[in-house]
Amino acid sequence: MVEASIIRENSFNLKINFWVIGTWITSAILIAPILTLFITASGDSEGLWKHLFETVLAKYIYNTILLMLGVSILALLIGVLSAWIISRYNFFGKKYFDWLLMLPIACPAYLVAYAYTDFFEYAGPIQGYLRNIFNWNSAQDYWFPEIRSLGGAIFVMSFVLYPYVYVLARTAFIKSPSSFYEIASIYNKNQFYNVALPIARPAIFAGLALVCMEVISDFGTVEFFTVETLTLGIFNVWLGMNNLAAAAQISIIAFIFVISLIFIEIKSRSNKRFSNTSQNQRNMKSINLNFNAQILCILFCLTPSIIGFFLPVFLLISHALKTSYHQDWIEMIFIIRNTVFCSFFGALSIVIIGSLMALVSFYKGSRYLKNFVAIASTGYAFPGTMLSIGVLVFCGFFDKLFTLGSKYIFGLSQNGLISGTIIILLIAYIVRFQAVGFGAIRSGITQIPLNLMDASQSMGKSFKESLFVVIFPLLKTYVLAGGLLAFVDIMKELPMTILLRPFNFETLATYAYQFAHDELIEQAALPALLIIFAGLIPVIFLNKFLRESKF
Amino acid sequence: MKNLFFIFTLIMINFNQLFAQELNIYSHRQPFLINPFLEAFTSETGIKTNVVYSTKGLAQRLQAEGENSPADVILTVDIGRLYIYEDNNLLSAIKSEILNKNIPSHLRSPKGKWYGLSKRARVIVTSKERVDINKIKNIEDLANPEWKGRICSRPGSHVYNRALMSSIIAAHGIESAEKWAKSLVNNLARRPQGNDRAQVKAIFEGQCDISIINNYYFGKLKFSEDPIQREWAESVNLIFPNQGENERGAHVNISGGGVAKHSQNKEYAIKLLEFLSGQKAQNLYGEINFEYPANINIEPSDELKSWGVPREDKLPIIRIATLAPEAQKIIDRVGW
Repeated sequence: MVEASIIRENSFNLKINFWVIGTWITSAILIAPILTLFITASGDSEGLWKHLFETVLAKYIYNTILLMLGVSILALLIGVLSAWIISRYNFFGKKYFDWLLMLPIACPAYLVAYAYTDFFEYAGPIQGYLRNIFNWNSAQDYWFPEIRSLGGAIFVMSFVLYPYVYVLARTAFIKSPSSFYEIASIYNKNQFYNVALPIARPAIFAGLALVCMEVISDFGTVEFFTVETLTLGIFNVWLGMNNLAAAAQISIIAFIFVISLIFIEIKSRSNKRFSNTSQNQRNMKSINLNFNAQILCILFCLTPSIIGFFLPVFLLISHALKTSYHQDWIEMIFIIRNTVFCSFFGALSIVIIGSLMALVSFYKGSRYLKNFVAIASTGYAFPGTMLSIGVLVFCGFFDKLFTLGSKYIFGLSQNGLISGTIIILLIAYIVRFQAVGFGAIRSGITQIPLNLMDASQSMGKSFKESLFVVIFPLLKTYVLAGGLLAFVDIMKELPMTILLRPFNFETLATYAYQFAHDELIEQAALPALLIIFAGLIPVIFLNKFLRESKF
Repeated sequence: MKNLFFIFTLIMINFNQLFAQELNIYSHRQPFLINPFLEAFTSETGIKTNVVYSTKGLAQRLQAEGENSPADVILTVDIGRLYIYEDNNLLSAIKSEILNKNIPSHLRSPKGKWYGLSKRARVIVTSKERVDINKIKNIEDLANPEWKGRICSRPGSHVYNRALMSSIIAAHGIESAEKWAKSLVNNLARRPQGNDRAQVKAIFEGQCDISIINNYYFGKLKFSEDPIQREWAESVNLIFPNQGENERGAHVNISGGGVAKHSQNKEYAIKLLEFLSGQKAQNLYGEINFEYPANINIEPSDELKSWGVPREDKLPIIRIATLAPEAQKIIDRVGW
């Protein structure tokens, strides 16, 4: 028996306890670097705002909003529709398309931007070919969309970022019980609008929130396409006018903007919740399709993976083949080791911390803790470089305390503890990508019947036992999805890694960047391909898990 | 789980080994450009070097690390970045006879906090086919309405253009500089985009006829592995601006370095800067990256000389940095 139940505010006895305190402390540590940015922003902006208002600010905001809107709409369309098609229908090659659709997540947006610019720009093969066929002589003879533009950025980012929506929507669709759809068909309601979307809504918006935060914090793509967004403005103000305070102020505006969007979404669904009270039933059944419909489905699912993955990969391979740049393969092995190491431990920490925060705040948290925990996973909305400055200042402060302490207490003179080590890098990854793990796990919790925890505890199990024995196994898929998304994200991450890393420490992303920065696409192509291919491994795992998961 | 953390600790320790005989460098210059210099330094002195490379934020890192910072030497491209370190009091004033002898005073900090190590000139490139080379002598000529729809440019807020803008403010004052920038923007053939390389490509492809680039990009294209890129270089003339008798000379920017304030290794740090200002390294700047030596006693490479050696704007280079905020404001106002 299934019911769509409206759930009350969940109020457990609020005894001070280890779990709650642990969650408060962990969240506080994650918030500290963000807070540091707020403190930086309280510095003197030297009257810059008047200048910004008069000149570029409107342009920055306008471009940022258009970019976010454009990417959101496209990513939603692609992500949700393809997830629905894959979940609902049977068609030829379906199980392959399922994972083809995830592939673009392995591609860093700025590298795809590099590859596409070469391909679509005036000097590129497409326009060259057209000019040849139609005997056009110059740019004045015809119109062709400019790839280095706002439209180009929307195009590239949508096709690289939609998998965030796809993966989470797909997970939610698979999990939705078939009885819901049966009921809908009895009452003659549209199954997609009236059942699937409302059920998947938390998951879809968790994905969309990630997309939005990714967009607002992107620097590489917008810099390359010269789309003057707030993030580009941050860097002009910081580096061009040597004014970090004003730069931090702009980044906080962008931050507040994204956070309010997410907050509005959460509020608007806070008193509506569909939860499935019984787990013992069949998941959604797939429908068989006729030939024409199958072709349509195939085309719809194939296009995003071609644009977001195969074409850029093909272009990068052809660049990599052009160069005779001698690759030091031994060096490359160390670089890959570093990359995998960072990504693995980063993702592991994120999953552990994310589970802790999501579970404790949901089952035991006061309203304050819930909000606090939510704030702790907003680091994603800052541009990586700005966030790393927050992390640097916070860890620098910690190090100073540590140095002072060890001097007075133990009489030791020692340099800092975290700065310049791999630890600071891991802290930065957690602060930034916490949202990825937390979001996935949080949307998983909403699918678990609330009365399970009640039942378990009423049977005399402790909170800890209930978590590990009852709740956590049900969340396994979401935890894994979150962990793998975080893994890929960290692997692609550039601005924080490049600034915070230890001496002589390269990851694939930093290694590719030193060439890409100079628009040496041929030399950057090989490490770029390695990032993408290494990113495929978690994608394959992710897919395997999504497919096998049933409960 | 325990094993995982054991491995984690092991690898961490491995990364943290910092020996006293080593020099730690924060570099804004890419590893593939800086490594040949460091290898030469190590083989000459036996001092090992460790590098963190980032284009942005290293000054903030140094500041946040404070006294705990392991950094000894800062290496940057562009005077603006170098100046930020001095401005935030992150460098120590050093005394070195060798450096003072090698590097002319307009290319070093008045307080001895940083030294220019190589020079790059901002030059004009024009299409060999479509532009009469005699019509453009000065950077100011690019404002001429004759060139409407024929100039390509990288975004104004890139450090190289911002520095050029500063040099024009220094020469003509804010108002005239803004007028120049506005006219330049009016002459653009397309929205500012791409790096200096991409501008030469655009001229080759016929999208525009004139652009401004750093001189070394011309060399990189001329000797590129890619035959098409060599053709790009082949298609343009190089014009050193403002060379006339009463003119100020071409705007130059520097790459340079300084010693971190809390360096534990100042002696070695100074040694590295001295090495970089010496004959061997100065020649390398020309050979590897087509940059001019900052050392007044050393001649540019033969290849560089074959393009002609420009007379440079002798404006104290620090002015380029102090005028940068003003330059950025103009760039914002005219939408370059």
